[in-house]
Amino acid sequence: MRRRPEPAASRAPAPAPKPAALAAIPEARRVSLDVRDAIRRGEEPFATIMAAVAGLRDDEALVLRAPFEPAPLYRVLARRGFAHWTERRADDDWSVSFYRGASAESAPPRTPAGSDALDVRGLEPPEPMVAVLERLETLAPGQALTVVHDRRPTFLYPQLDARGFTHRTDEPEPGLIRIIIERPVP
Amino acid sequence: MNARAARAPSPMLPLGFLAVAALAFALAGLALPWLGDALSGHYYHPRILALTHTLTLGWITIAILGASYQLIPIVLERPVWSERLGRWELVAITLGVVGIVGHVAIASWSGLVWSAALVAVGVTLHVVNTALTLRGLERWSFTAAMLVMGFAGLVLTTAFGAGLGVEHLRTFLPGDFFARLHAHMHLALLGWVLPVVLGVSAHVYPLFVLAPRPGRRVIAVQAWGLALGVPAVVIGLLLAAPVLTAAGALAVATAVAAHLVWVVSLLRGSRRPAFDWALRFLVAGAAYLAVTAAVGVALATGAAGGPRWALTYGVLGLGGWVSLTIVGMMLKIVPFLVWYRAYAPLAGRLPVPGLADLRWPVMEAVAFVCLTAGVAGLAAAVAAGHAAAIRAASVVVLVGCLAFAAGVVSILHHLVPCPMRRPAVRPS
Repeated sequence: MRRRPEPAASRAPAPAPKPAALAAIPEARRVSLDVRDAIRRGEEPFATIMAAVAGLRDDEALVLRAPFEPAPLYRVLARRGFAHWTERRADDDWSVSFYRGASAESAPPRTPAGSDALDVRGLEPPEPMVAVLERLETLAPGQALTVVHDRRPTFLYPQLDARGFTHRTDEPEPGLIRIIIERPVP
Repeated sequence: MNARAARAPSPMLPLGFLAVAALAFALAGLALPWLGDALSGHYYHPRILALTHTLTLGWITIAILGASYQLIPIVLERPVWSERLGRWELVAITLGVVGIVGHVAIASWSGLVWSAALVAVGVTLHVVNTALTLRGLERWSFTAAMLVMGFAGLVLTTAFGAGLGVEHLRTFLPGDFFARLHAHMHLALLGWVLPVVLGVSAHVYPLFVLAPRPGRRVIAVQAWGLALGVPAVVIGLLLAAPVLTAAGALAVATAVAAHLVWVVSLLRGSRRPAFDWALRFLVAGAAYLAVTAAVGVALATGAAGGPRWALTYGVLGLGGWVSLTIVGMMLKIVPFLVWYRAYAPLAGRLPVPGLADLRWPVMEAVAFVCLTAGVAGLAAAVAAGHAAAIRAASVVVLVGCLAFAAGVVSILHHLVPCPMRRPAVRPS
């Protein structure tokens, strides 16, 4: 019997070679975080991951193990200057190394000049709020952050007001909400 | 275009409603095992009416009103007009519900009318608050339209209920007593609860399961099914016109079927790898909705009949579909509101726990198993009219109610100031 060729969709893509910047980080400088069991229990690991990222030193990498490819994280962490390298060990076992590199994704379209950008679409509350507030802590006076969202963050506005940020919201196209947040110059 | 920044109300406003609702649910569960004999007979029994109003007003209505104070700013993108009005509303409705339940249980009709008037005051405050919130709304979504339909249903149900109370003191309504009772019950279930559930789920389920929102065709079938079906069912019951009732029931069932087909497609398209207990409750609630709709159509078309089937229908609808859906919604809403109150001011400055860290998964699992299985057992026992089996199933439901209440209390305790707990991150 003639063997049918394996469908292209079921073939695992060939892994990209490990980037030199990541390979140069010694094992002792790699912080491991396994969120597979937490996700299988239905828990949200985002805050734990962001806490681990916040605790990384400049010469450290985070090795994240997840039961699926954590694609939304790539964009979130790229905005914070992290590149990633992904290994698919099994269908439900992914290992992603986040390290400080130069491959951060480009900013979303229509970002005002001089403004940093953060795309939080597709995240479940309160993950967008945590990501935005963490990012705002690094904002210098006079600097702005453009947040791209899929809804108006009604619970975020009081937090921005309480922290003294100015903000304005618009909807450049249906379903795409843009919030421009600025830390005023004292 | 510069958009208006809708602001969320204080989380303590919806949390106050939701805490009262959870207490009512636990009290209803506590009463169940004592009502085995009553539940094996006819449904027009003072204690069953008291239990029904504990569920429909104390649990379901107060929970939905509270949840709407969180959801309206998100869904309609407008700030709540007055939080103070919301607090007075909670006081009026809570006192009114306690009065209605107590007076129905002892068959004291003058007290019932005064209590119903208090509930009517609370409902009026909510509707006024919502109407002023909606004033000038430029973009009407399916969810906004369903909320308006639901609140109109709530006003009519409240007025109808108060009229039934007055009828006990002074006969003034035409027609058959049980026809009015059935119409009142269906106005509440189909005119108030169903539109709100369909409308809110269209907005929040995609957020919960990370899947697309319903398409226009699904929305149109739901909207037209309810708009045509609910008046037909209620008027058909009032006028004792079985053909109109059956036609209305089929229209409502079509709307429900469209909703369920969308929920199934949502689950298939979900990008969420694992469902938490809240989502499992919502799925179980949808399954009970399918069964409830089937029994409802059978009753409307004459394929089934009699007080036992009517009571079974009530157990499946109130205990299964509505209660499980509200439990699921609350297990999503309450952790977020508590997190927002306790930890949002610290987010970005300190590591803060996630929503999952606030929950008590073991209690939620116990609640899920006991409530889903217990309500199924209770419905079967009620259909059989077996008092001992009703008591046994009621104990299972009670365990589920208490486990749910314990889970909610466990989440609420994060509101008590305590040192921050840092999430555990282990370096290799």
